[in-house]
Amino acid sequence: MTSISMKDVSKYFDGGNTVANYRLNLEVDDGEFLVMLGPSGCGKTTALRLIAGLEQPSEGAIYFGDERVDGRSPSDRNVAMVFQNYALYPHMTVAQNIGYPLKVRGVPPDNRDRKIEEVTELLHIEDQVDKKPGALSGGQRQRVALARAIIREPSVFLLDEPLSNLDAKLRQEMRIELKRLQNELDITTVYVTHNQEEAMGMADTVAVMNQGTIQQLAPPLELYERPRTAWVARFIGSPPMNLFRGTRRNGSIDIGEAGTVELDGVMSEEAAVEAEGGGRGQDDASAASVLTTDARGDVELGVRPEDLGVSTTRPTSGNAIEGTVDTVEPMGEYILVNVSVNDQIVNAKMSDGLVSRGDRIYLTFDDDDAYLYDDNGELVA
Amino acid sequence: MSLRDHIDSLTVDRDRDVDTGVDREKAVAIAVFLIPGLTLFGIFSVGPIVYSAIGSFYAWDTFTMENFVGLDNWVRSLTDPLIVHWANMQELRYPMGALTHNLLWVVLHVPASTFFGLALALLFADLKGRRILRSMVFAGFTVPPIVIGLVLMFIYDPQAGIFNELLRVVGQEQWVRNWTQSPQVAIYALIAGGIWVHTGFSMLLYSSALSAIDPSLIESAKVDGANAWQRFWDIVWPLVKPVTAVVVIMGIIWVMRMFDIVYAAGGAAGGPNHAYSVLGIEVYRAAFRPEIDYGMAMVVALIQLFIVAPLALYIARMN
Ligand SMILES: Nc1ncnc2c1ncn2[C@@H]1O[C@H](COP(=O)(O)OP(=O)(O)O)[C@@H](O)[C@H]1O
Ligand SMILES: [Mg+2]
Repeated sequence: MTSISMKDVSKYFDGGNTVANYRLNLEVDDGEFLVMLGPSGCGKTTALRLIAGLEQPSEGAIYFGDERVDGRSPSDRNVAMVFQNYALYPHMTVAQNIGYPLKVRGVPPDNRDRKIEEVTELLHIEDQVDKKPGALSGGQRQRVALARAIIREPSVFLLDEPLSNLDAKLRQEMRIELKRLQNELDITTVYVTHNQEEAMGMADTVAVMNQGTIQQLAPPLELYERPRTAWVARFIGSPPMNLFRGTRRNGSIDIGEAGTVELDGVMSEEAAVEAEGGGRGQDDASAASVLTTDARGDVELGVRPEDLGVSTTRPTSGNAIEGTVDTVEPMGEYILVNVSVNDQIVNAKMSDGLVSRGDRIYLTFDDDDAYLYDDNGELVA
Repeated sequence: MSLRDHIDSLTVDRDRDVDTGVDREKAVAIAVFLIPGLTLFGIFSVGPIVYSAIGSFYAWDTFTMENFVGLDNWVRSLTDPLIVHWANMQELRYPMGALTHNLLWVVLHVPASTFFGLALALLFADLKGRRILRSMVFAGFTVPPIVIGLVLMFIYDPQAGIFNELLRVVGQEQWVRNWTQSPQVAIYALIAGGIWVHTGFSMLLYSSALSAIDPSLIESAKVDGANAWQRFWDIVWPLVKPVTAVVVIMGIIWVMRMFDIVYAAGGAAGGPNHAYSVLGIEVYRAAFRPEIDYGMAMVVALIQLFIVAPLALYIARMN
């Protein structure tokens, strides 16, 4: 089996004018399910193609286990890849498509047929084997592409937005099936998507990417509970975290006309996190600079919509930010209240809809649920 | 919009489609645009074909039709050594007759220009600046054929020709000769020139077929472990096969109608002692040069048509 590691891998196109990937550092353990998550154009596909060997890095090195593989052809790497458009061979039947990786490796037809039977049963497409890809539905094509990828037991399994062409219901089904398949086969997997539900639901580890760089590499829960940059905070969650722009002043954060929030509480949580030993050197330094009481500067205060309370009266204690209800969206499971705070729209999830448009309200939250980002967008508390 | 509205709007749409007034207008418009084309087709295609089909069974005094002679023209033409020269064919000596020469063009020119066209298209597919190269090669095809014939004359010129010069440079002086006037090799020289010209056309067709192949199919095959050779045979070749049919048939049609290159090199005789004459040349001579033999001209033209027409039809009906 195989672990993957990328060391300072960069990829430039157009003579350096396009930076698709910049200094990626990544470790994928043997059997791990890594998801690369990021908006379109952030370099996910390029990173995947670098691992596959369809592109060569401009700088840096890629290892499978202890072996350096950049410079090797895709076929020497024993990777299997599912392309975004499935890339099924249109002139071959489903069986021929699935058997192709074995055929080019000279596996005798008897063996091949047995393997084809195995994987088509596993993916429930045994009835489709004589059809051409053109005669299949999107979901069936997806399965054929998966079957073709797993038939030769690759050491690395690469998937580029494999579910993006399916409708919502099918996507959900295939997500479960893919996850189960990966668990069963225990193949090191890199999965690319721009859909955070897929990422959070399937990944062992998520690599959140933006503009060619990895913003954060963490398990899904950690990503949610501790987004390391303001960018990640804005990206993860639906709706994502609210970030209030403010200024630090004398131990409190001044959020324009909406009020001020005392720093003490928010900071004590930071102290607790540091005490757990989870802090990193870089964090310590920036945290220290923000913690000095007379430090000034712009910060962003983050609170998730689900951690915000809505109150029509000013609470006597705790944190409160004042705003006006803009719109109320009853989503069924919860009610989404969009509140205008200093011309910024803030989302809060409520269980009842006792407010309506135009109401002056106070958004409350616990110290524990607040995040603080410095002017570089780095998490400090 | 309620479901009811939706269904109503569907019915309205259907009613509009069924409206026959629109259909009639359409038919009239189509007819108006077809009339000039059909008229020209009738005058310049169907007319002459019918005329020569009938005329080929009559005796001719220059341009006047005389009495019915049955298969006389046909027998005379098909046994004429200018069309098929059996004796020379057995000895593999030129001239072998125009029809034989045409078929030789088919056998040599068509596979070669198809192969080179595909090879160049594959080569240029990965190349930077392929557009320029491609248009340069294709330029060979857009030049009027008679000019190409003249260019070939220039290339093969015994004194100033580049080809002989090249032979001298590489030290193969013993091969230097007057290429277009040496009866036993001239046809190969012309076929080589024809291949050079026609390859641009095949390449262009193949290039567009290749660029229509989804690049992820090739990449997928790479990841699947296929080497370059397997990728070509398993993926690329099957996907460009329909184009191959077009290239081959267009090639056959092109060489069956060959005239200009041969005329430029060998005049109305089709080379010294008709050494590389083709059917087109024979039609021309029989129809426009004394001794005018209109009956034979019609027969030979019909033979050309019999070979070309079914192929053209096949292409027209391909989708
Ligand atoms: N072959 C290429 N040539 C030039 N630019 C490319 C190429 N492939 C990708 N890029 C550029 O690299 C960036 C990242 O692309 P990509 O990896 O496809 O992003 P994603 O998959 O996250 O949407 C984009 O700006 C894209 O235009
Ligand atoms: Mg992509």
